[in-house]
Parts: sequence; C-alpha cells; structure tokens
Amino acid sequence: MPPVIDLQKCIGCGNCDRHCPLDVIHFDGVRNIPYVKYPDECWHCGSCRLDCPVEAITIRFGPEMLYL
Amino acid sequence: MAKNLEKLGVTFETDVLIVGGGLAGNNAAIAALEKGARALIADKSSLYRCGAIAGGVDHFMAYLGTDTWDTQEAYLEWVGRIARGVVNLSVQNAVFCKELDAAIERMDRIGCTLKQPDGNFFRTQSLGQPGPYFINFNGKQLKPLLAKEALRLGAEVLEKCSISGLLTDGENVTGAVGFNIRNGNFYIIKAKAIVLATGNTNRLFENPSGLPFNTWQCPANTGAAQTMAYEVGAKLANMEFVRITVVPRGFSAAGLNALTGMGGKFVNASGEEFMSRYHPSGNRSPRYKLVEGVMKELYEGRGPVYIDCRHLSQSDLDHLKRTLGYDKDTLPDFIEQKGVDLGKDLLEIMPSEGMQAGPSEVCGSGILIDEKTASTAPGLFAAGDCADQMRCVHICTTGGYLAGKMAAEFAMGSGKEPKLRLPQIRELRKKAFAPMRTSGTISYRKVEDTLRKMLWQNAGPARNERSLQVALEKLEELSQCFKEIRAKNYHELMRVHETHQILEVAKMMCTAALARKETRFGVYHHRTDYPEVDEEYEGQIVLWKTEQGMKTSFKKLDYDKIPLS
Repeated sequence: MPPVIDLQKCIGCGNCDRHCPLDVIHFDGVRNIPYVKYPDECWHCGSCRLDCPVEAITIRFGPEMLYL
Repeated sequence: MAKNLEKLGVTFETDVLIVGGGLAGNNAAIAALEKGARALIADKSSLYRCGAIAGGVDHFMAYLGTDTWDTQEAYLEWVGRIARGVVNLSVQNAVFCKELDAAIERMDRIGCTLKQPDGNFFRTQSLGQPGPYFINFNGKQLKPLLAKEALRLGAEVLEKCSISGLLTDGENVTGAVGFNIRNGNFYIIKAKAIVLATGNTNRLFENPSGLPFNTWQCPANTGAAQTMAYEVGAKLANMEFVRITVVPRGFSAAGLNALTGMGGKFVNASGEEFMSRYHPSGNRSPRYKLVEGVMKELYEGRGPVYIDCRHLSQSDLDHLKRTLGYDKDTLPDFIEQKGVDLGKDLLEIMPSEGMQAGPSEVCGSGILIDEKTASTAPGLFAAGDCADQMRCVHICTTGGYLAGKMAAEFAMGSGKEPKLRLPQIRELRKKAFAPMRTSGTISYRKVEDTLRKMLWQNAGPARNERSLQVALEKLEELSQCFKEIRAKNYHELMRVHETHQILEVAKMMCTAALARKETRFGVYHHRTDYPEVDEEYEGQIVLWKTEQGMKTSFKKLDYDKIPLS
C-alpha cells in the first residue's frame, strides 16, 4: 500500500507528483490536489514524503507486505 | 531538414546527452558541464528523485590509507579475488581508484559529506571485505544535492521523458528519441556523444512478495540502456548473473549492509548462527553466500530465518536506529509497523527477487566499457549499473563522473556535426507509439507476470542447458505477443516499453548463461549441469547483435598483475 496524502494538510505544491520516480502520484489540476493514481506501482522509496514541505504524507504498508 | 524534424517532434541539440539522471548520470552531467560541454539529462522521473538512490543511500566503499588493508593495492587485490572471472582490474583502476579522491572532495563540496557530524568517517565491514571499506553516511539528500549542482552548472533537463531509441549515422551515435510519459510529446535530441546511465534491470524475475514493483533496486530501471546499446551494435558483458539479495520478509528494501555491518547475525528457526556453515566470513560473507545460506536454510526446512541485532550495545543500536532510514527511507516505518523492535526482537528475512546486475559490489553487468567508459559503439559511453564494470554507490559516483568527462572530450574533440536521418526517426517514432494504435487487448502486466514466472523457473538460481534453451524459446514466443499489447495512455506506453526491455535483457541473460559452462558466484550463476567453478572461465562472456542474431565470445581476464599507475 502506497503513500497516504492528508488533504487537510496538503498545500497543492505538486512536489510529490513531480518527484515520484515511478509516476505513481498525479495531480488533479481541477481540484488542485495530488492523488495516488497507480498504487500497485509504488516502490515505497519515500521520495514523496521527503519532499513534502508540510508533512502531509505518511507511508502505510499493507497487510500483503506486513504479514507475508 | 529542421522544418521536417519539427513536424515529427520537439527538437533539442546538445554536446552530451545523458540518458538516466540517477547517481551515475547526474555525476556524468556535472563532469561534462565542468569540462565546458553542454549537457542534457533525460529521465522518466525528475532529476531530484530518480534512480536507485532516489530516497537516499547510506554507504560508500573506499580505501583511505589508514592501514595495510586500506590501500589502493589491497583494495584491487581484494576486488580481483572477490569478483574474479568478471572484473577487469585495469578498468576498475580507471573508473574507481583514479577518481576516488576527487569524488570524496566533490561530495563534501556539494553538501553531502561522507563524514559524521564529528568530522570523522564511520566505517563498517561486511560482504567479504578485508577491513571496514564501507563509509556509513547520511545520503538522504544526495540525489537532490547532485541535481542542484548540475542545474547550477547549466544542465538542461528533460523530465518525464522515456528515451526509446538511439540515432546513428551508421558509424557514430548522433542522438536519441523519446516521448513524454504524460502528454505523449515526441522528442528528438541531437547529440555529439551519449552517456547511457539507466541502471540495472528489475521486474525481471518473479518477486517472492508477489508484488512486482516491490523491488530491491528501482523498478523503473528495466534495462533501457542495455537494450538500446545492443540495438546499435555495442557489446555487453557479465549479463548471465541473476543477482539476488536478502531482504526483510515482505519488503524488498535495502539496508542489509547496515544491519550486518553493525554486527547483526543470521539465525535460523532453532536460533543457530548458520552462516559459518557456508563461508569462513560468517555473517560478513560476500552477498551471494548470504543468499545461498538463507535459501538453503529455508528450503531444507530450517526456517524461518532472521537477523538478530539483540546483542548489539545500546550505542550501536542507537546508531543503527538513527541511520537505518538513510539507505531506505521507509524501512524504519516498515519495521515499526510490523511491531519489531531491533533491540528486543528478531527481524524475519527472505531472499529478494532476482535482477540483472553485477554479481559483486565491485563489478557490474551490462554494456562493455573500456578505461575511458567508452562502449564499442563510437560516441556511446556507459556509466553506473548498466555498465559491465560499475556497481554500487562508490563506482557509480566515480565512474559516472569519468564517463561525463570522457563523453565531453569526445564531443568537443570530434568537430563533427551529427547528421540526423529522417527515415530513421520516422521509423523509431512509429515503433514508439505502436502500442497506442494496436487493436490488441493484452496488458503489459500479463506478459511481464508470465515472463517473470517462466524466467525464475528456467533461468533463476538453478539453471542448465535445457532449461535455458526452453527459456529462450518461450521468450521468443512471448515476443510474438508484443504487437497485441495495448497502452491506454502514455504512462502505460512507458510500461510497455519497459516490458520490451525486460524481455530483451532476459534473452541476453539466457544466451550468456548458456555460454558460461560452469558455476560462479554460487546461486548467481548456478549451472546444475556444470556445478563447479572452472578456471577456464576466468573472463567475460561478451555478447552483441549480428544479422544472424545474438552472438557470444569469451574474453579472458588477467589477474596476475595489479594495475597501480
């Protein structure tokens, strides 16, 4: 399971969309918010979280990884 | 010509084109720019967070002259021993040793020092090293700092760009084409020299976690450089090895060095420290031996297997906890969410997925390079994990920089203006977008999943002549499905191109593995029909494209003399 974006905190800067090495996070230009478009392709590298200026991103591992 | 070109796509012109902006490519750009050449970096992601060290890295191998094991001579002697049969010492001396001092200085200068806050190096010993060669450092911001330095020097960057083919005039490479993975813009880049730096090949073998993108190295690295270099006639070497590592169960994360370097022990279900049964260096054995040990314990019924850090001193545990996220930013989260406390609990581990990569930390797999990082195709250079002599952070940093210097020298010395051929560009454009136009309905994922399962079965950690031939036959059949793979958007188009690259690398791997009739690096190339190491094979299997298909030859390597000049 991929990054979880807290939209209450998100300021819509687009860093996560721009920096995701796997093109997993895209930006909804109409609503001005990022969203996880390809959750199955997440590498869990943490780049989105590292570059989020307002700490709106947490990494939550799914049961398929935690309980394998 | 210019107008005709513009009708086909967006055009760019540069001296040195760098394909892949990761650790090696970014260092190459810095070197080319410092030499006074223009440099353009193309990457599928952003320059700030692309490639294998996107989210950080924590170790850099180096000798620092503090002791007898800590010299250039001792290092190369060890390299020749641990990577014997694939490593070219003369190239290692050029791409690493001669560039090492400058690399350490450069990292300091860009603000990512290898030193601890107290000004000293923190060094650890693992993976068969004769002394603590690994410098432990905080590389979480290394990638963005390198990016900033390249931009400061004037690098041009083409982000979200998937390079799909190289251009040639029949003799030299003259540029490349690619597309934007969001809007589908077609790019035509004219260049006097090219550095390929797109890393190793992942998503190649079935992933034990069942999640193909849960890979140890970056899953966006799928062998683009290897495939494109092969297409233009460059030679490749060391392609037969299936690199595997040991990872926390469920998460194919880097971090093993940190754990074993600090003194973590491998234990099985009954608590036995089993690695000493497989290698005299025990828990600090070469990586392929660790993998063999873990696999055997599991398959012979002595699992689960764990890393035990409970015996570490409080200060070592504190250091470990503080620095574990440097190599894989999210590993501490994973360990915490599993409910594991390294000071109190065992951490369950498993073998990772297989990948195409160098069989040792000190030798690569991929495009055959010489002492100047030049491939056998004029104007084409290779750096980082896609080059046959580069691997790991230290060589990708030093060798990447050397590649940029050499490519800039070539570009500025040639005096020749590259001539682009319109029919070639039209052909590559048609090929690039074909999956958007097909009436087929197969998804890239289905083909990839099949390939991964089939390859693990036939060309994984146990392989023989028949299984490799079967793999090649099935890969050929899978190739036939390609015209039916459909991409619904440009993101998917990128993935289809990646699937194609993975398939081509798989063919190279099986062909090279057939030619190496011995076992070397344990499970990394375990021929069940030739189960022993054979001194006759102290050298590289080299492969290249001919009109009759893939050809291989054997290149003997010399280990009698250590090059020190």
